[in-house]
Amino acid sequence: MDILIFGLISGSIILLSSVGFAMIVKVEGFLNIAHGQMLLLGAYLGLFFSGYGLPLAVTMLLASIATGVIGMLCYGLLFRPVKSQGLLVLLFTSVGAAYVIHGVVGAIAGKRMLAYDLPPTRAIRIFGEPFMTRYELTTVILALVLALAVHLFMTHTRAGKEIRAVSDNEDLARVRGIDPVRSSYLVWFVASALGGLAGVLMGIMGSLHLGMGWQQIIIILATTVLGGIGSIYGVMLAAFVLAFGIEIGLLFAEPSYRSGIAFLIIIVVLFVRPQGLQSLWGAGKLRTH
Amino acid sequence: MEGILLFAISIGTLAAIYGMVTLALNLETGTGPLWDLGIVSFFGIGAYAYVILTAAPAEGHQHYLYGFGLPMWLGVIGAALAGAVAAWFIGLPSLRLRKEYFLIVTLAFAEVLRQLYINEDWLTNGVAGIYGLEQPLRGLVEARQYTYVLFALAICGLLAVWALTRMISLSAFGRACKALRENEALAITAGIDPRRTSMVLYVLAGAFTAVAGVFYVWYNTLVVPGQFSSDLTFFVWTALIIGGVGSSRGALFGAFIFILLHDSLRFLQVSGETAVTLTSLRTALIGLLLILILRFRPNGIFPETRVVFKLPDRAKAAEGAKRKGLA
Repeated sequence: MDILIFGLISGSIILLSSVGFAMIVKVEGFLNIAHGQMLLLGAYLGLFFSGYGLPLAVTMLLASIATGVIGMLCYGLLFRPVKSQGLLVLLFTSVGAAYVIHGVVGAIAGKRMLAYDLPPTRAIRIFGEPFMTRYELTTVILALVLALAVHLFMTHTRAGKEIRAVSDNEDLARVRGIDPVRSSYLVWFVASALGGLAGVLMGIMGSLHLGMGWQQIIIILATTVLGGIGSIYGVMLAAFVLAFGIEIGLLFAEPSYRSGIAFLIIIVVLFVRPQGLQSLWGAGKLRTH
Repeated sequence: MEGILLFAISIGTLAAIYGMVTLALNLETGTGPLWDLGIVSFFGIGAYAYVILTAAPAEGHQHYLYGFGLPMWLGVIGAALAGAVAAWFIGLPSLRLRKEYFLIVTLAFAEVLRQLYINEDWLTNGVAGIYGLEQPLRGLVEARQYTYVLFALAICGLLAVWALTRMISLSAFGRACKALRENEALAITAGIDPRRTSMVLYVLAGAFTAVAGVFYVWYNTLVVPGQFSSDLTFFVWTALIIGGVGSSRGALFGAFIFILLHDSLRFLQVSGETAVTLTSLRTALIGLLLILILRFRPNGIFPETRVVFKLPDRAKAAEGAKRKGLA
């Protein structure tokens, strides 16, 4: 039962942090290492806004919108100009961006561990058993609702369809009157805002420290590989597979092996299915290079 | 004044060690087709293998079981072998994967290894690390002068790695690697086995990096797991990109520039709070430099130069062989 609850909670966090990353991989085609720092940014912006005594929900909203805007700026200023230079340049531009964000946040906030000033809560009881705290429950619900929202947005709105069209074939999309730049900006906003939100939630349930972006990007990369690069649904599934896998693995190993277990899982999965979980439903075979 | 000189020599030693790793990475990425985000794995394995082979047996308060106390040269050979074997082992599953997957899986292995160093304290003494390790040629000079000796050793190591990587990249094998990097399908048509070539390349780079790890142990006189986090991989990549992927001159230049940016701040004596701000700003500055280089000089400061190979004329060679046969 504990495995189920903890798996659900950590899966939700992984889901929220990875979905944005997967969207950028899908549309831009590169691994955006700076996405981990969007989590850091969201967490610290949340702390900054909550310093004004705003309610928690407003703080979350403001922090994720601000992170989204910064994500758009990063795209416009850093990534769009070097897009023609290929994957490696984009990847390491994102490493550079990650260093800049990490450095600036560190210079302003300092290296101390921080935490949100929240009233302590007890776990909600269901049938007399402790279930999860209010914050954890909110996280799980938010993650599930937002995953559904991303799905509906991508399949049922015009903007979402445009994004998919651009990611499938940019030239063809342009011929049909879609502005690829505009949909890219939109993707970066949504992806970074989701990352920022994940950061705030991580801050609420744990503490804030400067390493959290680097730590989480490693988990995000594991999730992305497990789900299959470029597949958003694969990543959604992978987030929970990984989370439950880690919780089950922790029955047999020390808690300090957390991300080690995650990586053992992906190494094994890649051995069997080199395209990741997305190949379960036949996706991912078209990309060749 | 002497303090500044000693500090510069010490920084230079560190830069030479980073230079070795950067050259090894350049062999994988510049010459060959491998985007390795786990180069720190071999650095760490080299360091730990050397320490386990050469360290004295554990004292009462330490936990590690094995300190064989072997001579240093055996330790160096052992480290190189360990790096090569580890590369073979990691390459076995991961070289079957496509570029981006390879990138992440190598990063994954590096992370798993770091957790092994932390948790398996019967082997590595855990987070406490192993301290007070001996340095080569220590007895020859007095303690104050030793910095120069170590610097000279590191420069010799760097020159050796430089010569070897250069030889490899100019050889027929190196040309096969370049062909794979440029166009894998075409390389296969030309009869190059991509998996075997990549594996040999990966193993070679692993061995070089492991030897660099030994120098790192000599420099620090200790090993702790924290030295081998993925930060180091990203630092080495940054150095290589600043210098220029594919050119060994660029790799060396990048390593020295990077160390200058990264470690010269250690010289300043400031309060703790200011130090935190300074290190953070330094990280931001390195990031900015990386972004600017990629934007305006995407091939680095010293871009790869074209090498024209003069192959022996086939017809003439055949004729020569025939004549030999007749004689």
